Amino acid sequence: MLFNSLEFLIFFPLVTLIYFLLPHKFRWIHLLVSSCVFYMSFIPEYIFILAITILIDYYAGIWIEKSEGRKRKRYLVLSVVSTCLVLVIFKYYNFFSENLEHLFRFAHLKYPGKKYDILLPIGLSFHTFQSLSYVFEVYRGNQRAEKHFGIYSLYVMFYPQLVTGPIERPQNLLVSLREKKYFTYDNVVNGLRLMLFGLFVKMVIADHLAQYVDQIYQQPAAYTSLSVFTGMVFYSFQIYCDFYGYSLIAVGCARVMGFHLMDNFKTPYLSLNINEFWQRWHISLSSWFRDYVYIPLGGRRVKYSKWIFNILLVFILSGFWHGANWTFILWGLLFAVIYLLEYAFNRVFHIDQKKEKTFIMRAFLVLKTFTLVTFCWVFFRSQNMGQIKNVFSALVNNLKRGESLHVLPQVWVFLGLFIFVDILLYNKRFDQWCSAKPAFLRWSFYLILIFCTIVFSSIQQYPFIYFQF
Amino acid sequence: MKKDLLKLLIRLTFLVPVFFLFNEIYTRFFFEKDLQENSPEINKVREALASGAEILYLGESSNTTFRGDDYDKRSISTMIGDFYPGKKIFNINKDASHAGIYYYFLNKIPATSPVKTVIVTLNLRSFDANWIYSDLETPLQKSTILLHDHYPLINRFLLAFKGYDHKSNEERRAQYLSAWKNETLHFPYPFPFKNVKQWDKELFSKGILGADGKKDEAITALACHYVKTYAFQIDTLKNPRIKDFDKIVMLAKERGWSLVFNLMAENIQRANELVGKDVVWLIKENGKLLEQRYRRKGVLVVNNLDNVGDEEYIDRNWTTEHYAEHGRHIIATNVADSLKKFYNREYISRDYTKSQRKESYFQDCEGSEIWGQMQTLSTEKAFSGKKSSEIYSKSPFSITFEMSKKHLPENFDEISLNCHLWMSGDNHSSQLTLEVFDENDKQCVINVPLDSLNRPESSPRWQKINYVFSSVKEFENLKSLKIYFFNPDKTPVYIDDIQVEFKGRK
Repeated sequence: MLFNSLEFLIFFPLVTLIYFLLPHKFRWIHLLVSSCVFYMSFIPEYIFILAITILIDYYAGIWIEKSEGRKRKRYLVLSVVSTCLVLVIFKYYNFFSENLEHLFRFAHLKYPGKKYDILLPIGLSFHTFQSLSYVFEVYRGNQRAEKHFGIYSLYVMFYPQLVTGPIERPQNLLVSLREKKYFTYDNVVNGLRLMLFGLFVKMVIADHLAQYVDQIYQQPAAYTSLSVFTGMVFYSFQIYCDFYGYSLIAVGCARVMGFHLMDNFKTPYLSLNINEFWQRWHISLSSWFRDYVYIPLGGRRVKYSKWIFNILLVFILSGFWHGANWTFILWGLLFAVIYLLEYAFNRVFHIDQKKEKTFIMRAFLVLKTFTLVTFCWVFFRSQNMGQIKNVFSALVNNLKRGESLHVLPQVWVFLGLFIFVDILLYNKRFDQWCSAKPAFLRWSFYLILIFCTIVFSSIQQYPFIYFQF
Repeated sequence: MKKDLLKLLIRLTFLVPVFFLFNEIYTRFFFEKDLQENSPEINKVREALASGAEILYLGESSNTTFRGDDYDKRSISTMIGDFYPGKKIFNINKDASHAGIYYYFLNKIPATSPVKTVIVTLNLRSFDANWIYSDLETPLQKSTILLHDHYPLINRFLLAFKGYDHKSNEERRAQYLSAWKNETLHFPYPFPFKNVKQWDKELFSKGILGADGKKDEAITALACHYVKTYAFQIDTLKNPRIKDFDKIVMLAKERGWSLVFNLMAENIQRANELVGKDVVWLIKENGKLLEQRYRRKGVLVVNNLDNVGDEEYIDRNWTTEHYAEHGRHIIATNVADSLKKFYNREYISRDYTKSQRKESYFQDCEGSEIWGQMQTLSTEKAFSGKKSSEIYSKSPFSITFEMSKKHLPENFDEISLNCHLWMSGDNHSSQLTLEVFDENDKQCVINVPLDSLNRPESSPRWQKINYVFSSVKEFENLKSLKIYFFNPDKTPVYIDDIQVEFKGRK
């Protein structure tokens, strides 16, 4: 059940209505059943895999809390290994098998392993990380182990953020699930605002751009350098609008029911450097890596060489989290290298990041960061190394040959409008920004969004990009 | 809570008049563009209405597919017109479509239109699980959404939010696999298999033996496919296609149309050879059921099920209703005969069995004369009329002349080709090609660079070219031949008014 489907437009109000009509003590059952229905609408069988993850970490949390010293650590390791094992089997097995096969072949040996036709359960990486954050927090003593199996299951399965996040922390969501929520006008309106804007950016912008991006990536050599560059820029906005749109809808529908999920994006393309970009892009994931990998490794309070290693490791792991492919590993590595180069540059030239900058300087830095990110997205979007090579080769060599990409004027208009609104939303959230405007302006904006979402949404529909992770 | 709910409801009520305003804006300014993009078949419906046609033929690929070497490459619907020269017959064709799709086209034809008779293709395979749950169903359903009887804005909303049957390929696969497993087959005699799954499994494991006594994998796979395609029994209560045809019957009654269901021929001969009498029994029983059901409902059913022989089927390795010339003639003749019930006075007989041989063939590239690669016809440029064949890198093969020996003059030793050509100086790789196939399907190819036929011009314009293929020794032993132009370049070449003449020994 996709957020931008008729089924969801029926499912969501129905679930919300029943939720508020039920007494508080039964609400968790209703939400859990609804979340199961939501998840099973994709591939029903995979709910058992999700159940395994839930069972492992539910008991691990209780055992970790009960035990002390080494035993406590042993339970944590056991929980992390077994939770990750599920992820490894479904997401990474074929990748490792394929690469081992290459190695064996290189050594003129026969590879004994096999490749399996495994379909990745939707959102596996997301709920694995959410589940892990729970055991980490219990281990650290920041969170009491949840004894109520139903509530814990709901923490992992809460339908708005089940498939593509935001990856929540138990201190927020688990606590929130126990609280009694009231139907309030503000929550409903703010939630619906976010959902409406989310649907608009996904259906009107991301899906339109996707057609052109697909054209370019299918046959980069056939297009001029300018067209390939346009395709690359379009992908930057496609993935942003696609994932931002999903996150807005997720946060919005949770908000209608009174839950406050974390923001996943804060105008990332207005970042002045890569460090800032990662504080504004997919925030729930980058903060997860910061809290559970980077800081435990020592963060910045280690030797310079160890710190460089930590940065490389975190970014490579982040890339690998996205997909079992060398392109994602390379994508992570590239970000690490850029991050380190920017750091070195600032150190060498004694640039103070906190110092106020002129408008022109800011614009230059935003453009520089966007260009670097756009360059990195090529690695993310490409299916294999060959495609990366083809895209860059067409970008460099097709200055005077190839076809031009014909983009509909309305696509430019909507993209321009989105960039304009994104600039207005700098350091603000859409619902807050809206509520500060006069009623006439607010309603005009709602109506324009409703009209455009229905009338100008792309006829060619694309699944959310992050579903594959 | 009540206060907040009331506040919200008051604001939502405001959206009701807004809906009507939006609907008006959408209908006036954007609906037509969406229709052209998503449901271009609407143009066929409009053309049908504008043509003043009295008879409408709704079909899929079975109507228009021809074999390359057919002398008469016309569609079944056009052939039916041969019998009623005084009547206008118009066809609305969409590949892979079925009654569920035809309904929406027909629904757009008002009772006040000149249409009096509607012929609907009744394809037996469209009742089987493999077709009902086919991957093609999602795009087909999507293409009809804007034709529904709602406010246009609601249709657009349904299109945007996938308010149609939009199952994924995996979900559809699961559906037909389930049907093959759960739908029980009932025979009037003892039969070893309960369902398609068991039958298919057994047939596959036993296999069909080839001439060498070993299991012939290709033929076995084809036999299994016949089982999966034809081994079903129509459940008139559950089969969705029955509901679709019933809706058409109701619609025809409302509009006062005479309704004809054209039950297409299936390759029963091949089914019998590959699988045996059991599958033939099922095919015939299903055909009988459909015929009786719709006759009872007042529909004229033309049963062609067993009328076309194996050799007339174009696709040898799959189950289709694609017939060669003679097969299409048979179907057209049967339908035309049945139509005498409504148009007895207008009927004239037509004999398709006479041998047709011509020395000269002309293609004006306007679309009325059917050759191969008709999709290359474009209105971009034309020497005469409105269209020419446009070829470039993405569609490099031009409109193609293809003919078998039986339709060519008995003794010829040269082929003269005249046509008008529009090409720029950049087209260095374009060529004129003659392919000759002998009795053993051996191919002889002659390529003539267009550069050598065309005077290079600084600004391109239409030029008349002539080329004579002569002294080709393969002419003596030919089975069929093809003539076409080929342009792999990005800059297009246009060809118009092609004349192919066979000359020589008489």
